[in-house]
Amino acid sequence: MRNATPQSMPSWLKPTTIVLAIIVIAVIIFLSTSFYIVDQTEDAVVTRFGKYLTTNGPGMHYKLPFGIDRQYPVKTKVVQTEQFGFRTIKAGVNTIYSDEKFPEESTMLTGDLNIVDVEWIIQYRIVDPRAWLFNVYDRTGTIRDVSRSIINMLVGDRAILDVIGSQRTTIEVEAIQLMNDTFKQYGLGIEVIAVKLQNIVPPEGVQAAFEDVNKAIQDMNRLINEGKEAYNKEIPKAQGEADKIIQIAQGYASERVNVARGDVARFDAVYDEYRKAPDVTRRRLYYEMVENVFKDETGTTLIDRRFQNFLPIMNLQNSGTGAENTQGVKQ
Amino acid sequence: MKRLITILIVLAVIVIAVLVAGPFYTLTEGEQAVVVRLGQIIAVKQEAGLHVKTPFLDNVIKYPKRIMSWDGEKQRIPTKENQFIWVDTIARWRISEPQKFYESIGTLESAYARLGDVIDSAVRTVIAENWLRETVRNSNIIRESKGGSENFEIGSDQDTGQLSAFTRTDVTYEDVQKGRRSLAEEILTLSRKLVPEYGIELIDVVPRQIKYSDELTQSVYNRMIKERSQIAQAFRSFGEGKKAEWEGKLENEQRSLLSAAYEKAEKIKGTADAEATKIYAQAYSKDTEFFDFWRSTESYKTTLPKFNKTLSTDMDYFRYLYSPRGR
Repeated sequence: MRNATPQSMPSWLKPTTIVLAIIVIAVIIFLSTSFYIVDQTEDAVVTRFGKYLTTNGPGMHYKLPFGIDRQYPVKTKVVQTEQFGFRTIKAGVNTIYSDEKFPEESTMLTGDLNIVDVEWIIQYRIVDPRAWLFNVYDRTGTIRDVSRSIINMLVGDRAILDVIGSQRTTIEVEAIQLMNDTFKQYGLGIEVIAVKLQNIVPPEGVQAAFEDVNKAIQDMNRLINEGKEAYNKEIPKAQGEADKIIQIAQGYASERVNVARGDVARFDAVYDEYRKAPDVTRRRLYYEMVENVFKDETGTTLIDRRFQNFLPIMNLQNSGTGAENTQGVKQ
Repeated sequence: MKRLITILIVLAVIVIAVLVAGPFYTLTEGEQAVVVRLGQIIAVKQEAGLHVKTPFLDNVIKYPKRIMSWDGEKQRIPTKENQFIWVDTIARWRISEPQKFYESIGTLESAYARLGDVIDSAVRTVIAENWLRETVRNSNIIRESKGGSENFEIGSDQDTGQLSAFTRTDVTYEDVQKGRRSLAEEILTLSRKLVPEYGIELIDVVPRQIKYSDELTQSVYNRMIKERSQIAQAFRSFGEGKKAEWEGKLENEQRSLLSAAYEKAEKIKGTADAEATKIYAQAYSKDTEFFDFWRSTESYKTTLPKFNKTLSTDMDYFRYLYSPRGR
């Protein structure tokens, strides 16, 4: 080792080796900057000396090396989402949302000059990778700004209850249209696929009042049902009572007629016999009657017909009642 | 061999030197440049690609050709009715004439500052000249809405109509003459007057957010709360009214049911009485005298036992009381 000649270079420093090494390195750089792979989800925009050359689809492609050609992969198949007024911290089966509020995004004025909090998302896809890359400077910022200004405008055009309720879909549809118009005007190269309004709520200070209206509707229905309940409790009963009154009357009617027929039948029977022997029958009936009346009596006073003035005095004294007194006067 | 290496190295050095100092430079898509030679603009390049310049003499200053954002500080501005609102405005712009831009502004930072001055003042002017509603609303479609009708369900169309009339907040919305878009156009026009001399083109200026100032917010909240509670009251009161109506209906139907039953019952009884009368009359009229006698004896049987009696022996019944031969 020591006897290596100092004036001669080491064998690996020989010119041929150096040239060879340079060539190998050059080839490696050449190869590594000449081929590139485009993913299925992407398109690649290629520029030559900074000027747009072509757009390539998925697969392996060749380009000029050493930075003469540059390729910019753009995710054209992926649907991208922007959230407004809320943020997802971690998406999953149970998506976690940030507790933080973003009133600078969500607070809006409605057309009837009320305040409302609107949360929404937009979904878009890059349809023109070249335009997407080169036409607009702050792309995400632009998308967010435009989306916010359009939703603000659409909400500002409507009454708060319509925004919360019936006009949601209209706002979504119009928002897609207006956003696409604006982005087309900018040449941003994206297409908005969906605008979805999420939570639309009154601001926190007045939510209780809005809730109270719902409660009031419940109260109203409760009161109405209470009225119906009382009605339903009494009316069927009253109908039954009415039926009862009529039934009783009908019973009375039958009874009355039947009694009459019975009375008459008895009368007729007696009358037929009476006609055969009127005098005797008449006497018999008379005696039977008197007997019938007096057979159970105990306290009857009998006065001889010659006592003229006795009767009225007795009557006055006995105006109460009393069997003993009358007995005492018995003859 | 040694000479070859020397030649190669020298060549490489020259090539590198030339490449570093020019004469080539590239503009990528979305860039434009002014070429300044010794303080003088000699060319404006707006095409992307490879360009040539004179090495060491020419200075290439690149500007973006893309659409740029401008995001201003939100401003507190009084409207025409003197209500203070916060207006947050954004704008899009681009450098349309790099030469003028280089001359009058130079850098992007000062461009933002300049735009801020121009747009802020235009926003202030336009907002202050217009009613609040012109800024908030864009059109008159709010008038076609059902006037913020409540959503509820009570089962009967008639009641629903009646209640809608109570709860409808029948606001006649003032006519919007211009609307937000037109105001934005006005702001844009006003701002545009000043920017061409900077070599800047303003593409649009739009309000991103409009909201009430904080002191106003509280009173708006109070108003909203009152408005809601007024409607809640209407619902409750309507419910109470309905309940009373049901109670009245109950009383009414109860009385009419029972009285109708009474009427019917009396008629039935009357008919029966008439029938009975007819039956009696037909039978008894055969012999009125016997009827008198018969009926009297029947009647005495039932009524007399209850009387407090003092009898006279004068009665026929006692005819044989004093004598077997009768009186």
